[in-house]
Amino acid sequence: MATFGGALVALVAISALLAPWLSPHDPLEQNVLLRLAAPTAEFPLGNDSFGRDVLSRILWGGRVSLYVSTSAVLIAIVIGGALGILAGYIGGLFDRVVMGAMDVLLSFPTLVMGLLVVAMLGPTVGNLILAITLTAVAPFARIARAPTLTIKERDFVEAGRALGFSNLRIMVVHILPNVIDDVLVMAALWLATAIRTEASLSFIGLGVRPPTATWGGMIREGFENILDSPWLAIFPSIAILIVMLGLNMVGDGLRDTSDPRLRHE
Amino acid sequence: MLTYILKRLLVAIPTLLAVLTVVFFFVRIAPGDPAFIILGDQASQEALAAVRHDLGLDRPLPVQYVDFMWQEVRNVLPYTIELTVTALIIGVALGLPLGVAAAKHRNRALDYAARIFSLIGLSFPAFVSAIMLLLAFAIQLHWFPVISEAREGDPLSRVSALVLPAVNLGLIMVAYVMRVARSSMLGVLGEDYIRTARAKGVPARVVVWRHALGNALIPVVTVVGLYLGVLIGNSVLTEIVFNRPGLGKLIVNSLNQRDYTMLQGLMVVYAFIIVIVNLLTDLTYGVVDPRVRQT
Amino acid sequence: MNSAPALAVEALTTEFRIEGRWHAAVRDVSFAVTRNETLALVGESGCGKSITALSIMGLVPKANGRIKSGRVVLDGRDLVGLPEAQMEKVRGGAIAMIFQEPMTSLNPVLPVGFQIQETLRYHTSLAPAQARARALELLSHVKIPSAARRFGDYPHQFSGGMRQRVMIAMALACNPRILLADEPTTALDVTIQAQVLALLAELKSEYGMAMLFITHNLGVVASIADRVAVMYAGDIIEMASVDALFARPTHPYTEALLSSIPRVDRHAGDLKPIAGQVPPITSMPQGCRYADRCPLRVAQCATMPPLVALADDATHRARCWVRAGGAALQ
Repeated sequence: MATFGGALVALVAISALLAPWLSPHDPLEQNVLLRLAAPTAEFPLGNDSFGRDVLSRILWGGRVSLYVSTSAVLIAIVIGGALGILAGYIGGLFDRVVMGAMDVLLSFPTLVMGLLVVAMLGPTVGNLILAITLTAVAPFARIARAPTLTIKERDFVEAGRALGFSNLRIMVVHILPNVIDDVLVMAALWLATAIRTEASLSFIGLGVRPPTATWGGMIREGFENILDSPWLAIFPSIAILIVMLGLNMVGDGLRDTSDPRLRHE
Repeated sequence: MLTYILKRLLVAIPTLLAVLTVVFFFVRIAPGDPAFIILGDQASQEALAAVRHDLGLDRPLPVQYVDFMWQEVRNVLPYTIELTVTALIIGVALGLPLGVAAAKHRNRALDYAARIFSLIGLSFPAFVSAIMLLLAFAIQLHWFPVISEAREGDPLSRVSALVLPAVNLGLIMVAYVMRVARSSMLGVLGEDYIRTARAKGVPARVVVWRHALGNALIPVVTVVGLYLGVLIGNSVLTEIVFNRPGLGKLIVNSLNQRDYTMLQGLMVVYAFIIVIVNLLTDLTYGVVDPRVRQT
Repeated sequence: MNSAPALAVEALTTEFRIEGRWHAAVRDVSFAVTRNETLALVGESGCGKSITALSIMGLVPKANGRIKSGRVVLDGRDLVGLPEAQMEKVRGGAIAMIFQEPMTSLNPVLPVGFQIQETLRYHTSLAPAQARARALELLSHVKIPSAARRFGDYPHQFSGGMRQRVMIAMALACNPRILLADEPTTALDVTIQAQVLALLAELKSEYGMAMLFITHNLGVVASIADRVAVMYAGDIIEMASVDALFARPTHPYTEALLSSIPRVDRHAGDLKPIAGQVPPITSMPQGCRYADRCPLRVAQCATMPPLVALADDATHRARCWVRAGGAALQ
């Protein structure tokens, strides 16, 4: 299942990356005569309310989603993972403070945090990434901390310290590999969340500003014109669906392989 | 049990304060003085002062919130509660039995069907599924109104306006609950005490529904508690698509109109909601897991 | 003495599917336990003793295990192949089982008293109030202090030894004919062990119950068993009264086991571990399973020896061509 999901994700990712070459038309090129036109041979997915090619906009919209979500999740992994391992390893007051901060962050669901940040600081790509990262850091910190706590008590760590290994080395060589599995599962699932959040914010009107193509923005347009041309909302929806389905399948597949209980052979 | 409740309350307060601090911080660092934004930079000092006075920005903080907020929120809260609670009920009432059944019939048809359903349910962003529902059932089939027009004193119209939004939120929740119920049940069914129950000759049905489920509920409570935050976000989106009055719509409107005072007030309400939800989750733990009551 | 056995196991074979093929974990095992008798089933981890007990109870995991052949006779009725609904009536009623891990064998979210009472509910026709009273009685009978107060307590509020007592109370609630005890004291401290064993012995004679006691600890065997069956790699390789077994261990494995136990009065340097390992279940040899490690091996051992009685003691049987003979050596 993970492989099929992975294939879906790869499909979307590659088409997004190759958007400049795959797009039959310029995503920003308006054509008033073709307003809300149905799909034709030249415009396989129809045209939006400005006459722009839906297919090209979907391809380019993928770039935005991909960029925002991967940046946010990567940053969250690095910062969250580091914080989690450090908190677990150092313990004491540092641990409590860090985890307390994480708990506060955890009380904000991603969308609401997104609303707050983007509304206050402006709808730029950077702020979008910031908003998502803020909510994503806490879960990664948590799952990095848990194995750290167990491993740190193990005898071979004591032995390592007795031999004079630096703390950094212990953390990187021994703790990190055990954390990676869980992190990967989370990463797949959080990529899905990030894409969903970016799309939701765009839908509300707080995403990347038009006329840049974003999936959420396109769906919003489609929603506003839903009685006239339903497919304008449908096509980008399908794009989001495919990507999220793929990511969820990857996450599930990864989790099934690392959790022996669920596997049951 | 009482001490447990009190302890949880005590812990809730600093969290509430922390959340409020974050919210205030964000709103305060927003660039631009609201008065400026409204009047433009040609305005005189008096005009600016007047607008600030109108917006209540010069009144002490507590007064501002209680005042402004209460009107708006009061009108809208019943709708939000009605939607959220209905979605919650749908989610648990369908999700729990489905998860249990999937675990019982592991790797057979029902299990696969349920897992596929939940995978798909999780992959639909709330607004996408809302639009699909709207398209299918309101626009194409005309079963429900396209624009939710709940009229006061007309319960039927209120119910019909509630169906699609609640189904939207509810189904997504079913997906979440079903997953965790299933995996939790699978874990529990392999535990030693289930073997003991069977060795006692407890009938299979009772083993599943009393012995296993009682323990399997614990992670389900956790997930539902966590999910409530996501539910709020999803209800904002649902309210927009179905044009329903609610807390979510208020938030978005105040954002669009740069009404920062209202926004702050709404965030305070929201912070309260988080704390209450966490408290309720903790209390539910106390009911479901006797080990927790002693701490 | 005693007439019909409480439980008779005849040629029981239980197998598991590993990587698509079925392998026997318990092979052609037969024994009987009479009233008031304690039969100890001894062997190292993996020899099949727990699976034997689970097979008797009908609790072999269905996903990849099954009873291939044999009979388990209780009260003249063969339990193998009994429909699940009827088996449920037997479990906890006529046969009871207690397990090794008291810490995880009780349901954490149900009160202890309720868990005992439940057994009564499903196997007797006692009204709830009476069942509760009886459960309370049982709780104090297994020597839980302040039983009345602790009736509504949860398992996590009890220590390991006390939890095991609760398990015993649950098991004995309906006066079972036979109790299967799967290493009930292995996970307990030595002092608690002694208490629990004493409790078991006391209750056993009080109820006139038979007991199948599974363990790998020969010391425990010596203190509580009447008869002993030694298992190795799924077969019973020796069966005798406890005195006879310790006085005259016949099978080379039994002999090696006894001499590998460290003794206070001997020098540590005399420790004699058994060389070699138990063959994996997926590649069992055709003949005697112990042959590889056995100093007495002869060519004959390539075929499986039968379990035969010794010439001078009909109740002492061993499965060895060399030591116990058998038709083929004639």
